Amino acid sequence: MPSSTVIRGGGFRPAAYGAMLLGTAFVFIISVCLGSVSVPLRDVFASVAAALSGEKQLLTGHSDIILSVRIPRVLCVALTGASLSLCGAAMQGILRNPLADGSTLGVSGGASLGAVLAISFGSRLPFFGGGGVVVTAIVFAFMSLAVILGLSHKLDRSLSTNTIILTGIVYSMFVSSIISLVIAFAGDKVKTITFWTMGSLANTDYLNVLTILTALLLCASLILMRSRELNAFALGEDNARSVGVNVKRVKLELLIAVSILIGVCVSIGGTIGFVGLVSPHMTRMLTGPNHKRLLSASMFFGACFLMLADLLSRTIVRPMELPVGVVTSFIGAVAFVFIFKKSGRVG
Amino acid sequence: MLKVENLGVSYGDLKILDGLSFTLEQGQWLMIAGPNGAGKSTVLRALSRGCRYTGQISLKGRDIKRFKPHILAQKLGFLSQRHEVTYPFKVREVVALGRYAHSKNALYGGAAGDEEKVSEALSLTGLSELAEKSVLELSGGELQRTFIAQLFAQDPDIIVLDEPTNSLDLIYQKQVFQLIEGWIKKEGRAVISVVHDLSLARLYGTKAILLDRGRVVAMGQPEKVISEKYLNPVYSMDVSGYMREILSTWQRG
Amino acid sequence: MKKRQFALILALALGLSLLASCGTVLEKPEENTGSFQLVDMEGRVLNLEGPAERVIALTASDCEILFALGAGDFVIARGQYCNYPEKALELQAISSGSETNTEQIIALKPDLVIMNMMDQTLKQIAAMEKAGIPVVVNSAESIDEVYKSIELIGKAVGKDMEAETLVSDMRKNFEDISSKSIQGEKTVYFEVSPLEYGLWTAGKGTFMDEIVELLGMKNAFPDVSGWAEISQEQVIERNPDYIVTISMGTLGQPSPTEEIMSRRGWQGIKAVSEGAVTEIDSDEIARPGPRLVSAAEGLYAFFYGD
Repeated sequence: MPSSTVIRGGGFRPAAYGAMLLGTAFVFIISVCLGSVSVPLRDVFASVAAALSGEKQLLTGHSDIILSVRIPRVLCVALTGASLSLCGAAMQGILRNPLADGSTLGVSGGASLGAVLAISFGSRLPFFGGGGVVVTAIVFAFMSLAVILGLSHKLDRSLSTNTIILTGIVYSMFVSSIISLVIAFAGDKVKTITFWTMGSLANTDYLNVLTILTALLLCASLILMRSRELNAFALGEDNARSVGVNVKRVKLELLIAVSILIGVCVSIGGTIGFVGLVSPHMTRMLTGPNHKRLLSASMFFGACFLMLADLLSRTIVRPMELPVGVVTSFIGAVAFVFIFKKSGRVG
Repeated sequence: MLKVENLGVSYGDLKILDGLSFTLEQGQWLMIAGPNGAGKSTVLRALSRGCRYTGQISLKGRDIKRFKPHILAQKLGFLSQRHEVTYPFKVREVVALGRYAHSKNALYGGAAGDEEKVSEALSLTGLSELAEKSVLELSGGELQRTFIAQLFAQDPDIIVLDEPTNSLDLIYQKQVFQLIEGWIKKEGRAVISVVHDLSLARLYGTKAILLDRGRVVAMGQPEKVISEKYLNPVYSMDVSGYMREILSTWQRG
Repeated sequence: MKKRQFALILALALGLSLLASCGTVLEKPEENTGSFQLVDMEGRVLNLEGPAERVIALTASDCEILFALGAGDFVIARGQYCNYPEKALELQAISSGSETNTEQIIALKPDLVIMNMMDQTLKQIAAMEKAGIPVVVNSAESIDEVYKSIELIGKAVGKDMEAETLVSDMRKNFEDISSKSIQGEKTVYFEVSPLEYGLWTAGKGTFMDEIVELLGMKNAFPDVSGWAEISQEQVIERNPDYIVTISMGTLGQPSPTEEIMSRRGWQGIKAVSEGAVTEIDSDEIARPGPRLVSAAEGLYAFFYGD
């Protein structure tokens, strides 16, 4: 029996997917009910029923909050969590580095720079919501990945964990200095630097949901199709080449998919740090490193993780709110040390 | 099977490898020897298309650059000297990756017979018992055998080994070489390996190339190539004398 | 050890607050020289040779106070954000706040610098005082403190009478507005940062809160203090009767009012459904200066009609 799981797919059985879906749905419902204003479960269902059936008499006093604020927000949070987590898992595979994540590598920072530049210097292309901002963020995310990989390759051919992380830190600092510079020049147009350094999904709408969903469907199918190649990368690039992986092409495909996802997420929610670090790591402890399981499971896990972090961020200091990035960074920084220590012992 | 013509590799102005030509026929075990910096590993890197090179490498009459990566992998497999294991993959999962070249399609789980090949490779390398163990828990020898099993599962025509027994205990060294020796016996197979240990090159090789600073010093039968005449100037020392001196300590006991 | 330090800090803080509470002029006339002593809003005591005639105002509100007192001619340079009255714009602008350039200030040879209190202020003051330039720190956080700061600045530039008149005018105006207003339970939600950058409101301890109370309304967020980030759902839940935003529109975009009225899920809010949403000049309502009166008048007109 184990042999068939390894070669044929190696993915989960349908029942396992069902369980993960159910768990995620549970967290979703909790997140919709609770918040700075708590809403009874009955009202939630009545509001949704009213919206779906169009029968106005079902609407309750909380319907506006539920339908227009809470549900789109929690949906955005769940989708962002799934996206960032998937990106983290993919990068950790490609780079054979358990500390890789959009935020630790500086890719999110690069995407923020793109978004800030687009906002400051105009050119809002007619495109989904954020307009040129989304496109610029994606392009900058990809360029950042290319720079970080190129630079760490130049510094250390074996691409060791520490080199990549150090390059990421240096790059992040570089990017944040440029963001500050742009903000100093652009002044009013980019109101708060904190929005780009401490992400928040507080005020997202259904258009944002649709944007992330589209990106996630597109990129996730691409990344999931490359599970076996990611397994090969996770055993070293030489090994991947030896077993017949088209290293350059697959890597490019994966990096583009990751850039698109990170770019979209950053342009909507800013930099929400460490989700892609914490969630795949915890998932890996449950599922093992095989990407056939890891990728899909970490999407569910990431969605739940960010929904809970967001729930915390909007209830802990109520009626005020913390940016969700504050919560994830707090958890993430602790996890970073833990994983770094552990991976140091092995490597 | 394999033909290398006028192979050259340089980094900037530095010529790492210059004008190397050789052929490999089935049943042959080619040993590439030479001191540090002779360009041994660079030959392998060029073969795996891990670096740019001039000249031509052709496999069964066709330039290797024109093969798709997974088709090439069906014919040519590599074993590197160090393995980078970061994640706790199971031994079986690592070995199963060897079948990638034969069933690349992502939606289709695997070709018929893949499972048999993997099980066979595991039992050939004596890893059946360890199949469900995490690679992080293996000893150096077990890890090397895992990757050899992956190669066996990949089932290429030619296996290329980069110092396969570096840093392995003697017992594992012997195991690895015997495994390869058994593997090569089957029709249509050949091996190229880079070795540091000159005695091993003489013992197992059927053909040898001695390299020095990127150029061929000698090529032919191992006993002739790995001999005082060529070795002493290349290593600037009395190689065979030193070997005998080492061995004599055994006779004294 | 720690305890003693704590006690020391506590004593200092107490002393400072006592001093701050007097916050006005300690006269100590030495007739001939005309020199006198001032205690600024932070309780710092400083000696002036005579009324200042070369003044640098780094904070916008201080600049407005100086001009309102008819001391505009004494101002030799202004902080970069001082933009009122129009005449102030003709003055040389210098960097202020955390970027305050003490060298630049010293080079201008002022006989008084007026600035507000920030984290870096004490260091900056030390540098200027070393160069012999007296610095008045002004940091009013309530309307009463604004009166005090006007009197303080009036004294510093020799416009005591004018200051007295200005303060009594302001007092009278506020009293008028307040007496016209009807004390009620209607709530006002202030928006100081729009949805796009995360919602921020003004809670207790802000001029907006104080003025709203004066006008007989209640702040929709009395449970937060200062400016704070809140969430959309809180606003919808609290269902304010009025919404006041200090956002400024951008050309080619919907106005802040239009943007608020069109927000998803906000349609059920009383203020939105009744169209009781307005914009107010943030400079008027957020600066501790004489224009707080016109902010209050503007809001009165909005709440009660003309």
